[in-house]
Order: sequence, then structure tokens, then C-alpha cells
Amino acid sequence: MSSWQTLLLRVGDKCPEYGGAVDYKEHIETCYGVLWREFEHSKDEISELLLQCAEQLPHKIPFYGVLVGMINLEDEDFGKNIVDDLHCKLQEALSSENCDKIRTLMRFLTVLMCSKVILPSSVIEVFETLLSSAATIIDEDAGNPSWQPCADFYITCILSCLPWGGTELIEQVPDEFDRVIVGIQSYLSIRKHSQDTSFIVFEADEDKSAKEKDFVEDLWDHIQILSTNGWKVDSVPRPHLSFEEQLVSGKSYNLSPISCPKQSTSSSRSTISRERENYEAKLKYPQRLRRLHIFPSNKIEKMQPIDRFIVEEYLLDVLLYFNGCRKECASYMASLPVPFRYEYLMAETIFSQIMFLPQPPFKPIYYALVIIDLCKALPGAFPAVVAGAVRSLFNRIGDLDMECRTRLILWFSHHLSNFQYFWPWEEWAHVKDLPIWAPQRVFVQEVLEREVRLSYWDKIKQSIENAPELEELLPPKSVSSFKYNSEEDHGYTLSKEFREMVRGRKTAREITSWVEENIIQIHGSKFAIEVVIQTLLDIGSKSFTHLITVLERYGQVIAKLCTDQNMQVLLIDEVSSYWKNNTQMTAIAIDRMMGYRIISNLAIVSWVFSLSNIEQFHVSDRPWEILRNAINKTYNRIADLRKEIQTLKKSVLLAEDVAVKALKEFEAAETRLEVVDGQPVQAEKPGRLKRLKGYAEKAKDDEIAVREALEAKDALLARALEENKSLFVSLYKSFANVLTERLPPVSADGAFPKLRDEEDIDSMAIDLEESSTMEMDHDNRRKDDRNGEKVTHRYSLKEQDQWCLCTLGYVKAFSRQYATEVWPHLETLEAEVFGGDIHPLFRKAVFSGLCRSTTEM
Amino acid sequence: TPSFTSRVDRPFLKPNPRLHPSLRNLLSSPSIATAGGTLILFCCSCNPRPKMASLFKDPAKLSVYRDKRFRGNQEEYERALQASTTVYIGNMSFYTTEEQVYELFTRAGEIKKIIMGLEKNTKTPCGFCFVLYYSREDTEDAVKYISGTMLDDRPIRVDFDWGFEEGRQWGRGRSGGQVRDEYRTDYDPGRGGYGKLVQRELEAQRELVDYGAGALGAFQPPTQYGKHGVYGDSHRHGRDYRKRYREDEQSASEMSRRTSGYESRRNSEHDLRPNPRFRESGDSDDEDEDDRKRRR
Repeated sequence: MSSWQTLLLRVGDKCPEYGGAVDYKEHIETCYGVLWREFEHSKDEISELLLQCAEQLPHKIPFYGVLVGMINLEDEDFGKNIVDDLHCKLQEALSSENCDKIRTLMRFLTVLMCSKVILPSSVIEVFETLLSSAATIIDEDAGNPSWQPCADFYITCILSCLPWGGTELIEQVPDEFDRVIVGIQSYLSIRKHSQDTSFIVFEADEDKSAKEKDFVEDLWDHIQILSTNGWKVDSVPRPHLSFEEQLVSGKSYNLSPISCPKQSTSSSRSTISRERENYEAKLKYPQRLRRLHIFPSNKIEKMQPIDRFIVEEYLLDVLLYFNGCRKECASYMASLPVPFRYEYLMAETIFSQIMFLPQPPFKPIYYALVIIDLCKALPGAFPAVVAGAVRSLFNRIGDLDMECRTRLILWFSHHLSNFQYFWPWEEWAHVKDLPIWAPQRVFVQEVLEREVRLSYWDKIKQSIENAPELEELLPPKSVSSFKYNSEEDHGYTLSKEFREMVRGRKTAREITSWVEENIIQIHGSKFAIEVVIQTLLDIGSKSFTHLITVLERYGQVIAKLCTDQNMQVLLIDEVSSYWKNNTQMTAIAIDRMMGYRIISNLAIVSWVFSLSNIEQFHVSDRPWEILRNAINKTYNRIADLRKEIQTLKKSVLLAEDVAVKALKEFEAAETRLEVVDGQPVQAEKPGRLKRLKGYAEKAKDDEIAVREALEAKDALLARALEENKSLFVSLYKSFANVLTERLPPVSADGAFPKLRDEEDIDSMAIDLEESSTMEMDHDNRRKDDRNGEKVTHRYSLKEQDQWCLCTLGYVKAFSRQYATEVWPHLETLEAEVFGGDIHPLFRKAVFSGLCRSTTEM
Repeated sequence: TPSFTSRVDRPFLKPNPRLHPSLRNLLSSPSIATAGGTLILFCCSCNPRPKMASLFKDPAKLSVYRDKRFRGNQEEYERALQASTTVYIGNMSFYTTEEQVYELFTRAGEIKKIIMGLEKNTKTPCGFCFVLYYSREDTEDAVKYISGTMLDDRPIRVDFDWGFEEGRQWGRGRSGGQVRDEYRTDYDPGRGGYGKLVQRELEAQRELVDYGAGALGAFQPPTQYGKHGVYGDSHRHGRDYRKRYREDEQSASEMSRRTSGYESRRNSEHDLRPNPRFRESGDSDDEDEDDRKRRR
């Protein structure tokens, strides 16, 4: 017999604990029986676990609601306590702005009403509190419309509860329910349509987003349809109906009133600060899902739109609450309590999370793991669906946001590495005939590059046996390119001598002076960089650790040699040339050198925007990876500092407290007097007094030390932020320069130039709907085009457009990813970079990355 | 030796005398700089991530394995694991390189260091390694998301580790490799073929009777050794990786050899598959060894 805990956890699951049966009524009866038997001894534990289950297994809330209702029939206090606990938790969640908790607790609230534990009027009251708070927020005068994301969230919460209790509310409190619905309607008529072009995964959808309904409007539509359908939802189990006769006699309770936190009201501030506030609100109250339509509508499972919404919620909740529990995560994902299949929907939901902008709730590698596990859990169904998703995304790759492209490449290579690198590459063999900057070709090439990094060259070559044409796209077999291999090479002797010195364990100082005398003075600094870098990299070429060891020991030699940015750029050039056949090692070496502060992030930016790299922007990830690393490292340093400062602030408070207490104790002891022979004398022994004084002094010293540490960290952070500012100024200036040179001019009537071929987008849409033979035709057509007249001209133009699209895409991606860091410097950037004659397409890319409205341009 | 304890450290920078005095102190005392931080963007403004579901997994229980070399009691061991930013990676192929490890593990966060486990005698990789991260969160993610997935076609095991110390890079088995490779009885081409004990047995057989190819059929490696069963085909089944064969948890006395249940193997498999990626012992000159010692 299983324990009551296991039965409670597993209720509603198809599992051995319930003999594999799936009759919900039976489950609840069995579970209730066992719970009731244990009730006397474990009342509190049962109540605690029930609440925990409701919070962490929200797709099973209806079962937990009925169980509470059943126990409430026997022990009225139990229901009351649960309602009080729920109130506490809900208030806590609202105050701490914990969206996930608010949402699940609201559902539990609704379900407890269905089980007659909570009065319907209480549910209405909660709805009305949220509704009035939402209405206040979007009111220009009383509230602060920048916080509309919060208001939208509250409304979404109310609407989301209705599939669970709409029927009951309409039955029991029809007038009040109508009032809520009317309230929501009027809210929707006042709020602004939200269009976050920043977070759109497919760029071609940008224009659509203005016309299409947003998330809240969409959900409202579904709920309206649902109400006309008599609130019938397949995806919501309604076990309380089977127990209605019993439950109806239960005692229902009031939920004490709740309150929503007040968002600061808007005062007359600048547009920038209002937009920034709106951006922060969007991060705090994020839209939970941005649907990714990967599959054509004829492929995806047929279901009511509201069912789709509910299943998506279920899946997202499992992903959220079972992060870190592989087995349970996969098994719950694969066996939701719904009477229809949902593999396609599941794939779309997971991919929507991988591609979620600006950042997925978890690292993308988590979703990679989930997909691997689901492929194993549903071997007959899921792998094919995943493959279909990959094909579809591949077809639209040119339209995919640049950041999402990178995520897709990383995920796909990792996924294949878990399944013996098998993929029907022959399907994509045709990309070899596309120009080298064609997005599909670049995608295949970058996937192969990552596969080689995860495995080894020969293995990956073998894996594309079915498509030998693609061998051309493999990275070079990774060997280093050492410059001094024979005595004829200029520098051979010096390098050899240098190597001998390293082998002979000469110190960095000795080597520095040797370099000065024997290379710089005779051949100049530039040549010195070449010899030093080539030789040191060659000594450290065997592995990552070898490289680190060399840099730790002789980094100072390089640092002395490259004190200014120009020299550092030359240094990076040399690294890139030594590892020209191995992008990974190039990136690692540059990253480590930045870690040791041998090179600055500014030098890296400057190097990335050198001509030879600019020419690679649209054909390779190589320069971008290095740029990403540099910005990321800078960001990480700042994040570390912020964390340390937070910890230190706590320590200061603590130390202050200790110091005050110690002093008080000493003073109290010092002033305590007693009367001896009619004279007041000190009551404490001198030894103890001395000790207490010592404590007090030490505590004060400690406090001062922590304070100083905090001050120091604050100063470090201030400097790091200053450095960050120059980094972003330099980055945006570099982008502006290269783009201004290459972007097509704005036409006389002020219309933006179109980089993307409108036809292309249409044909892509066709691709989605049609079979793969259609795709072949499409490609052939392209090939034919190339044989036509003016071929060269057209393609050179196209290449330039592709370059622009790609670079603009990265402008947007970097702006979006580091928006919180860019916002504080926006005024400087406006003055130094974005002002004046800046190209509108560049400005648009930055603005859309930062979530600024572009309308006022 | 310079080493960066935190991403904020600047190992080659002497404190500027014009800096604020407290700042100067800080720069010269590495003890205050603590490692930590996170790769997650916008972490400061987002809702805190929920801890892993406590319903199914006890987040306090971090590792089933207990390293006997750890000096301290169970409580201290657990505390070390809770705070650790080091992971141990097991069941790796001998051929897997640091760069492969880097590519995979960097997806959980910025890596500080990689230390390959080496065979004591040959100084070649022997199937385990340590990865050091800067932040605790990244460390946890590496354990959560990479353990049990494939690296170089093998399911690897990723565990919290109490912290790297000099000496821990060497295999602890009698023959220089890992203990599990002493006694294992399966043929695992990614880890040098048969276990060392079986290899020695085979070697002895070969010396006794050398009648050519057919003779080796006379000795077949046992498929079962004591209660632990076959660790066999570990490169195909992920399931068994939980069995802790790590280092010397298993004493030789436990080994009750059984010679039943032989299965036949091809002769050629007794020899190591040549692999272009394998770093020969000659590759690792004495310099490296010194460096490893020095790195402390």
C-alpha cells in the first residue's frame, strides 16, 4: 500500500499507485479514504502537502480542490484553514509580484469555489479587486499607463480562471459575474494594443503585429467563444461534478479581502524615462507565451483555441515546476490529462521557449534536455515532430531573428550530438549551390561547425556521408597555423630561442627584457607581437589548459607589449591568424586574454569591426561569437559586482547591529554601580569590563572593515559601469559607421528602403503550406534566376542587402539582450550616436531592440 | 601564481596608487573577492526563479556519492557540495578532449577552468574531469541539464564536487586509471577496452599459450563480477551511470570472481582502436606536469 503522500502526489496520474486506472472518481475516492484514515495524526501535514501540490502541480488542481472539499465535509476547520492559508499566500504573491504564484493560486481559488469551500462572492471579490487595480493603472491621472503589462497580467489571470469555474459563477452569482465581464470589456476598450516588435521571432511578422490581436485580446476572444459554447472545455477535468451531491452540503468560507500593490504614479517625466519604466514593467510582468507558429494549420492538432491555451499553460507549468527533475518533467509533459493528442502543440510550445525573447525563463540547454527526454519517452511520435519543426524553421531561417538563429544552431547541434549525429542531410544538400551568404547555407555550415566542436572532424564528415556535397561546408580540419616552420621563415630563429627560454623556465620579466632587446629594438613592436603570440600560442596549443597555463605564466609579457588599443588589435589579429582554422580556439584565446585583462573589450570591438571581419558578417558566426563573448563577459563582471555589493550591504547591516549591541553591553556594564561602604563603585569586575570593551572595539572595527569593502566595491562598480558605457558607445558607433556606408539611401519621399524582397516572404509562406517537392521547385526557380541576365549585378546587390539585414539583425539582438544596461546610457547615446543624420533603419533596429516605440521618429 | 578567483579580478594589474585607499586594499587582497554571479540576464528585475520542485526531489540531497578523500564529516561534505562551483564529470571517453568539454559545458555558463583526470603513469586522459565555473547557478545548471546526456556518444555523469585539490587529477586505481576501470569486465572501446584486471588476465593467457588467433577463445572475460553486475555496454545504456563506480569506493576484497557466463568476443577488439584524437603519453612533456602542480 502506498503512503498517503504518494497517493496525494499521484492522484489523477496513470500510475502503479492507482493500479494503472484512469478513472478520476476512483482516484479521488481511494485517495480520500487513505487521507481520512491518516487525518487524526497528520492533519497539518496533509493540509501543507495539499497546498504544495496545488501550487506545483497546477494542472491537477481540480483533484486537489475536490479532496479539500471532501475533507471539509468531515472537518470544517480544515476547509477554513486552507482558505486562510490560501489568502496569506495569494496576498504574499501579489505583494512580491510573483506572477506564477498569483496565477496558480487564483486557479486554486476558483476550484475551491467549485468544491464548495469558498463562497462564489469571494471569487468575484478577488476578480473585482484585480480589475479595479488594472483600471487604475492604465488611467492617465490616477495611475501609470507605463505599467500596463501589470494590468494586462491581472486581466489575464481573471480570464484564465474562467475555464475552471465559469459555469459555476454564472449559475450562482450571475449578476456579479456579468459585472466583472462588463468591467473587463471596458478595460479592453481603454488599454493600448501592445505590439512588442522587439520580441518577435519572425521578422516578417513585424508588420502583422500591428494588425493582429495581442495576447490579451486573443484570450478574451477565446473566452467569449467559450461562454457561447456553454463553458465546455475538453482540457479541464471537472471531478467535482461526480461528487456534487456530497459537496453541496459543505460549509463555504469567505476569503478575506486582498489588495494589489500600488505602482508608482506617473509624474511629468521625459519620454525616455517613461519608456524605460514601461520596459521594466514588461520584464516584471512578462507575457508568458509568444506563440510560434511552426507547423501549417493542417498539421497541428485540431482543438478549440481555448484548449490550446490551456494545454500551453499546462506545459509551461510542468517546464517551470519540474525544472531539475528530468524523469517527472518528461512524463508529465507526455501525459497531460487531456482527451486529445498534442505532440505538435508541445513541440511548438517548447520551441517557443527556446526562442523566447529577450530571454527564455531557463537556459536554452534545459529545453534541449526536455526535447531529448521526450524523444525517448515518445519514440514513435515525437522525433518526427521535432524533425518537422526543424525543417519548417529551416525553410524560414532567413526570416528568423538573429539571436534565435544562434539559439537554434546551438540547440540543433546539441540535439544531434545526443542521437549519434544522425540527420537526413541529403534533404539539405542543395544549400551547397546557394551563394555563401544565403541564410540556409550559413545555418548548415554553423551547425556542422558546432557538431565538430562537440565531436571531431572525421566523425562529422562520416555523419554527412549521404550528402557528400556538404563536405565543402565543413570547417577546416582544425590545425593551428604556426608561421615559423622552416629556417627560411623570418622569425624562425627568434621564435626558437623564445621557446627555449620558456622551456628553461625563464621568468616573465627576463623574457620581457629579452623581447625588448632582441626583437623590439631591432625589428619593431609589430614584429615582436607576431613572434611572441605565435610562439606562446604554439606552446599552449595542445589544449585549453595548456593555453591557460601559458597565459598565466607569460601573460605579462604580452600585456607589456600591447599597452594601447592599436597594439591589442594587432595582437587579436595574430591570434586569429594562428587559429584561422579553428574558430573555437580563436574565441577561447581571445576570451581568456580579455579575462586576464591583456586585451580590453574595446580592442575586441575595434577588431571585430575591421574590414576583413566586416566582410564575414553575413557568411559566418565567427566575428559575432567573439563579439558576443566580449559583451557577455563585461556584463558578467558587472552582474558579479552587483551581487557582491548586495551581499556586502547585508553584512554591513549585520555588523552595525553587532557593534551597537556590543557597545551597549559595555556601556551598561560600565555604568552599573553598587554601593560599598556608602560609596558608589563599579559593580563589574575590571576583567569583564576590559573584555567587553575589547568586544565592542572589535565589533566596531569589523563594521568599518565591511563598510570599506562595500565602498571599494561600489567604486569598482561605478568604474565598471563607466567602462560599460564606453563599450556601448563604441559598439553603436562602429555599427553606425559600417551600416551608414552600406545601407541603401532613404528615398526622396522619406520612405525607408526595403531590404527584404516582399515576394520572398510570400513564397516562404507558400513553402510552409506545401509539400517538400514544392520547396524543390522554389529552389530551382532561384537557380534559374541566376542564369538570367544582369546576374552579377543582381546578386551583388542581393549580397549587400543580406549583409545589411544580418548586421541590422545583430544590432537589434545586442540592443535587446543588453537593454537593461543600455537604457541608463540612452541620453549619452542619443547625443553621441543616434542623433543627427543617422540612417532610419539603424535607428529602427536599435529602438525596436530596446522596446522603444518608433512612431515618433 | 596568478589565477582569477572572480571575473572581476585583474591578475596583471597592480593597484593604481591614486585609487581610493580602500579600493587599493581590495585589489590587493583577493580574499574579499568572492566568486559568484550569473549569466542570466535581467535577473535583477525578474521574478525569482522557483527552486526545483520540492515535491519529487530533495534539493538538499546533492550527491549519492561520498568521496572518501574528503577530510571532514558528512555535514561538512554536504556543505561543501552546496556551495561548490565545481562539477565532476564521469564516464567520459578517454578520447574526449578539453575543447569538447568546453563546448558542451559552456552552454551552462562561463567556465573558469577544466582539469582532465589523468592516468597516473602515462599522464593521458583516463575518463573523468573537473569543470570549474564562476557562479553557483551555472554549476547547478550543469548538473541539472548535462548529467545523463551524451558527450562523444557516451552518457556522462555530472555531479557536484567538493572542490578540486592538487592530486585529484590522478586516477586512483591500482594501475593508474580510475578504479572502475580496474575491475570492469565489459569491453569499452572508449575507455581502453577491457578493465585492467581482465587485460592482465588476457595478457597472462597470451603468454602461456600462443597458438595464434584461435587461442584467445580459450579465455573469455567473465560477464559478472560479484554483486555489482555488468557495467557493460555503458556507452549504450544511460541507465547504469548512477551506479557509483567512482574512484576507490569499491575495495578489491569485494571482488568475487565468477567465471561463468562467458561470452565470445572478437580477438581484434582486445587491442585499442587507433584514434587520431588520442593524446599519446609522449605529448605530455614534463612541463605540463609541473604546471599542474604549480597551479595550486
